[in-house]
Amino acid sequence: MTGAVLTQQFFNALSLGVMYALIAVGFTLFFGVIEVVNFAHGEVFMLGAFAAMIASGVFVSCGLTQGSLLFILLILAVVIIIGALFGAVLEKYIVSPMRDAPDIMTLLITLGASIVVREAVMLFVPDGRNPQTFPVLVEMDTIHFGGALVKPETLLCIVLSIIMIAGMHRFIQNTTYGRYIRATAQDRGAAMMMGIDVKKIFIFTLIIGSILGSVAGLMNGMTYNIIKFNMGFAASIKGFAAAVVGGLGNIYGAIIGGLLLGFMEIFTVSFITDGSSYQDMISFIIVIICLVFRPAGLFGEKAYEKV
Amino acid sequence: MKLKKLLCSLVAAGLAMSLVAGCGGEKKQEVVKIGFLAPLTGGNAALGIGLKNSAQLAVDTANASGKYPYKFELVAADDGGDPSTAVAAANKLIADKSIVAVAGHFNSGCALATVPVFHKNGCALVVASAIHPDITEKGYKEITRVMTHSNVQNEYAGERAAKEWGVKTLCLINDRTDYGKTNAEQFAEAAVKNGATVLSEDGIAIGQQDFSAVLTNIKAKNPDAIYFGGVATEAALIRRQMKDLQMDCLMFSDSGIISDTFNKIAGPAADGVIAFNIGKPLAELPGGKKFMEDYAKAKFAEPYENYGHFGYDAVGVIMDAVNRAKSTDRAKVIDALRATKGYQGVIGETTFDEKGQTQNKLITAFISEDGKWLSYEKADLQIVDKKIVKK
Repeated sequence: MTGAVLTQQFFNALSLGVMYALIAVGFTLFFGVIEVVNFAHGEVFMLGAFAAMIASGVFVSCGLTQGSLLFILLILAVVIIIGALFGAVLEKYIVSPMRDAPDIMTLLITLGASIVVREAVMLFVPDGRNPQTFPVLVEMDTIHFGGALVKPETLLCIVLSIIMIAGMHRFIQNTTYGRYIRATAQDRGAAMMMGIDVKKIFIFTLIIGSILGSVAGLMNGMTYNIIKFNMGFAASIKGFAAAVVGGLGNIYGAIIGGLLLGFMEIFTVSFITDGSSYQDMISFIIVIICLVFRPAGLFGEKAYEKV
Repeated sequence: MKLKKLLCSLVAAGLAMSLVAGCGGEKKQEVVKIGFLAPLTGGNAALGIGLKNSAQLAVDTANASGKYPYKFELVAADDGGDPSTAVAAANKLIADKSIVAVAGHFNSGCALATVPVFHKNGCALVVASAIHPDITEKGYKEITRVMTHSNVQNEYAGERAAKEWGVKTLCLINDRTDYGKTNAEQFAEAAVKNGATVLSEDGIAIGQQDFSAVLTNIKAKNPDAIYFGGVATEAALIRRQMKDLQMDCLMFSDSGIISDTFNKIAGPAADGVIAFNIGKPLAELPGGKKFMEDYAKAKFAEPYENYGHFGYDAVGVIMDAVNRAKSTDRAKVIDALRATKGYQGVIGETTFDEKGQTQNKLITAFISEDGKWLSYEKADLQIVDKKIVKK
C-alpha cells in the first residue's frame, strides 16, 4: 500500500468520522442532560439534507448564484433553523410528555416519531420514494493533497464540523447557559434547587443536539450527492454506537467514538481482502469489545446505574 | 344392345370419374390445434394479449402461405399471471387431445409451475418470454424456450467485455444479494474464460453510502474495468465516487441499473456506464420490420407490446416441428421440436441446445449517454482502447 493510498484512506476516514462524531454528540447530549435515548435523531439528519436540497432549489430560482458564499451561508442557516425547530418540537410534544414515564416509553415514542417523519418525507416529497440528487453547492476543483484527491466539499465538511464542535465546546464551557446545561447533566435536582429552569435547558439541549444532526445531514448530502428518505436510520445506528463507545454522556468521548468508528470502517476495507463485506461486522465487534471491557465507554465517567 | 352397353359403361365411367373428382375436390386439410398460455387478465394482461395476438398472427400467416399441409388453429387459455391459475389452464389444454403442443407464458412463476405438468403428461411446451434459468434447467424433453434466459446475459457481457473491448483486468463489486452476486460471478467467469483476470472482489451493503475506501483500493490496482452487480442507487453512488477519485476505468453492470433513477441520481457521471439486458429492440431483429407490418395489417385491437414477437416465434417453431414430424402425435412433435435447427423467425435463428434452451443470444448492451440509456450500437459514446470516447 503506497503513501498516496494511505493518505487517501485517511481523508476518507476523516470525512466519515466527523460526520459520525456530529451525530454522536447529539445522542450523548440528550442522554447526559435529559437522560433520553432519542431514536428520532436520525431523522433530523435526514431532514437537514432534504431542507438543504429544497432550499437550494428555491434560492437558485430566486436568482442566487449557486456556490457563492452567501448561497452557502443561507443554506446553512436554513438547515440550522430546521434542526432547531425539529429539536424544539420534539422536546415539547414528544419527549417532555413522557418525562415521568419509564425510559422504555421515551425510547418507543421517539422511535415512533422517527418512523412518522421518515414515511412523511417518503410520501409527501415529490418522488420521495426514490433517491434524490443533492445539488452541488460548491463548485471548485478537486484538491490534491500528498497524492490524495480531496473533494472541496469534504474539506469544507471537515472544517465545518471542527467549527461546530469547537463552538459548542466554548458554549458549554464559557457561557451561563452552558453552565446550566452542565449543572443539569450533573444533578438535575440540585440544578433545580439552584433556580435553573431545567425545562428550558431540556429544550435548549435538544435544539443544540438537533442542529448538529441537521448540519451532519447537510454534510452528508454535500459529500455523497445522493439523499434518501431512509438515510437517517443507518446514520443514527452508527452515531449511537459511536456515542456509546465514547461513553454516553461524554461529549469528547462521542467525538473520539465517531472518529474511531469512521477510521475502523475505512481501514477494515483497506487492510482486509474483501473487507467491505465485513466492515459493519468488524466495526460492531469492536463496539462490543469496547463495551465488554469498559461498560461505561472509553471515556465514560461512571457506569450508569439508574435507581 | 351394343349401344345400351356402351351407354352403360360410359355412365359408369362418368360416375366413377365424377366420384374420384369429387373426392379430390372436397379433401379437407387436417386441422392441427396449438395451445397457447398467456396472462389475458390481471396486471400483465396487456403483455399477454400482445403475445396471444402475435401467436394468432403466426397461425394466420402460416395458413395463408400454403407452406404447410395442415390447417393450424390456436386455442388460447388464460394463465392469469398466477402459478395456480396457470396449472389449471395447462391441464385444460393438455386434456384436449386434439392439441399437439402448447406455447406461451410470460411470467417465470407460471412457467416454473406448469413445466412439471407438461413433463408428466408428455406434452410439448415452448416457453415464449419467461426468462428464469430454472425453466429449462431440468432438461425435460417436453420443454423448450425461444427466449434467451437470464444467465446468458452475463456470459455475453463477460465475453464481449474481454474480447471486443479488450478488458484484461477486472475488479468486481456486488451488493451481496443473490442477484448482484450471481451477476458479478457469471460475468467474471465469462470474462476470465476469454482471457481477463479478476484483481479483486468486494461485497457492499444495500443502503451503504460510502464506497471511498473500496474505490481507493481498486484505484491503486488500476483495473481496465469495474463490474458492479446490483441495482441503481448503489451503482449511482459508486459511479459518482469513482469520478470524485478521478477514476476513468470502464464500468459495467447488469439490467438492475437500467433505469431513469440511475441516470438521474448519478447525473453527468452516468455517461459511459454500460449495462446489459435481455432482449433486443424489435426494429433491430431480422424479422422485426415484416412482423410489425403484418401485425398492423392484421388490425388487432391491441398492440403486440414488448414480447409479442416471442409468442409469434414460439408458435412458429411448433408449426415447423409438426410439419417435419409429419404427424400430430405429441411424442413425435416433441422429438421434432427438440431437433429444431436453424429455424428462421422474427427474433432470428432458433436452435435448441441439449436442455431445450435456444442458442440465440438476444442481449443488448446499453450505454448511458446524456441521461438516457441507448443501445451501444446507436450511441455516440463508444469504447476505444478501453476508454469511453465520443464518436
